[in-house]
Amino acid sequence: MAERLVEISDVTKNYRRDAFDIKVLAGVSMDVSEGEFVALMGPSGSGKSTLLNLLAGIDRPTSGNIRVAGQSLGALNDSQLAGWRHRNVGFVFQFYHLIPVLTAYENLELPLTLTKLSRAQRRRKVDLALEVVGLADRKDHYPRQLSGGQEQRVAIARAIVTDPRLVLADEPTGDLDAGSAQEILDLLAQLNEEFGKTIVMVTHDPRAAERARRELHLDKGRLHSAARH
Amino acid sequence: MIKLIRRNLLRNKRRTILTVLSIAIALILLAFLDLLLAAMSGVDSANASRLVVRHAISLTFSMPAAYEQRLAALEHVEGITIMNWFQGRYIDDRPENFFPRFGTDPDTFPDVYPELEFSPGAIDAWRAERTAFIAGGALAEEKGWEPGDVITIEGDIYPVDIELTLRGIFTHPTDEAAERVLYFDWQYVEEALGNPGAINSFYILLDSPDNMNETIAQAEAMFENSPDQVRAETEAAFFLSFIEMMGNIQFLFSAIGLAVIASIFFITVNTMAMAARERTTEVAVLRTLGFTRSRVLAIVLLESLSVGVLGAAMGLAFMVLTAGALSSFLASQGMTFSELRLGERTPTLVMGIGVSLGLAAGLVPALQAMNMKIVDGLRRVA
Repeated sequence: MAERLVEISDVTKNYRRDAFDIKVLAGVSMDVSEGEFVALMGPSGSGKSTLLNLLAGIDRPTSGNIRVAGQSLGALNDSQLAGWRHRNVGFVFQFYHLIPVLTAYENLELPLTLTKLSRAQRRRKVDLALEVVGLADRKDHYPRQLSGGQEQRVAIARAIVTDPRLVLADEPTGDLDAGSAQEILDLLAQLNEEFGKTIVMVTHDPRAAERARRELHLDKGRLHSAARH
Repeated sequence: MIKLIRRNLLRNKRRTILTVLSIAIALILLAFLDLLLAAMSGVDSANASRLVVRHAISLTFSMPAAYEQRLAALEHVEGITIMNWFQGRYIDDRPENFFPRFGTDPDTFPDVYPELEFSPGAIDAWRAERTAFIAGGALAEEKGWEPGDVITIEGDIYPVDIELTLRGIFTHPTDEAAERVLYFDWQYVEEALGNPGAINSFYILLDSPDNMNETIAQAEAMFENSPDQVRAETEAAFFLSFIEMMGNIQFLFSAIGLAVIASIFFITVNTMAMAARERTTEVAVLRTLGFTRSRVLAIVLLESLSVGVLGAAMGLAFMVLTAGALSSFLASQGMTFSELRLGERTPTLVMGIGVSLGLAAGLVPALQAMNMKIVDGLRRVA
């Protein structure tokens, strides 16, 4: 049986908006095994992006515990969490969020500048990641010179360039046309199947969710049902 | 990281260029005021061993000529001479025809100005002839005067016109502005006025700059109970107080400089805050990628610092290239101070302000970027 990469135990998350306390996650527990491709579905406001942010360590739960790759995230301070995130998590945003003043190559190199890798080592990793997403010939292009689908592929390459164990994707096809969305889903599936990456993807789209091996449904902050493909 | 900072600076070229330019222009103005103040205080030609004694109330008040002998008797005095500002009008009132004209004593003047070099026979000729004058090399060259030339200066402060014959030229080893002066025998005016025996100032050369404070105290104490009390000060301080007859120049310049820096500070803060606000999501992305808070702080601060340093460097480069020309222009307008010369002080001041401005302007946006919650940053645009 595969190792459990993600363990979430009884996690709650409340936000305060003006005078109101908003309960976003209410006692969520779930596990994700190494090598899984999980789709997290649910209506808007169900808490799926919040759960993804907690998994990425860019937000903290109100209560409960999250362990990723054996590390309890609550035990890390802000600086340690940044380092942990850099080593273990690749994040794919709905709106790509590439740095517009950097080329595709430089966008990929950016997280690697936080390591002690030499320039040549960085180049090898960036070239490999661009090769995987099929954009080796676009490495000198700026984001504005790429299509939406290409931008998202570069964003995926940036997410995997540090070779993280966990890839988190927040509505990765939400801003793309059907054709580009299909390419991105193919790419994520390839990363999961060929490179063994564990992927947790938030999506509204049932067709996108079907590409995952497991679906989890969130509604009003609670995990309701699960389906396996 | 450096690449990211450089690219961010070039992201909105027009805004960066305008900000850098406005900092440069503000610092040029500040450097100019500073140089002008230094030039006015005569730091170049002022002799550290020379002090000036004048009336305690104001330079426009005179002291009895008899003070000279009493001051000469002070312990550390090597030489003493009188110095009266004649002013007057040479040819007409155009600024280029204005230059300082002092009435002094040819017998004692050279003792107090040992740094000046006189043309051969100049001193003897000057002493021998009541209507003789000596002129600085730069002034004589500017006016095209040759020894033997006769000039007329129409009195305005004093009701007497004087006709003077050039009998010698003097030069200063380092300060050309010190050569834009004319000296004549005050006895000429004194006699024309009926020997009132009134002196504007006494210039005293001491045996050592170390005895300056002691002699200043002695000179002021000497006339403490006299109707005409005196103020003694270093030559550099005197030059400034001479200019300050027009008002508190130093305060005025400092106030202008401060106002300029304050306004440019707020402009730069606003620009940097705007630039940082536009990149809120990018900062959140950097933090998601693993950039620590301190690294984000450094990126924003370094960007702002670069703008400040670039502005300062540009301002300084302009001053280096134009100080000479500005000096000549001011001289042509009758402002005969020392030359505008960039020493160590002004560049240090300009670069210091550039660095401080850059850091201070970037501090608030940098702290905001550092303390921003990642999820808030991602939510803002997305």
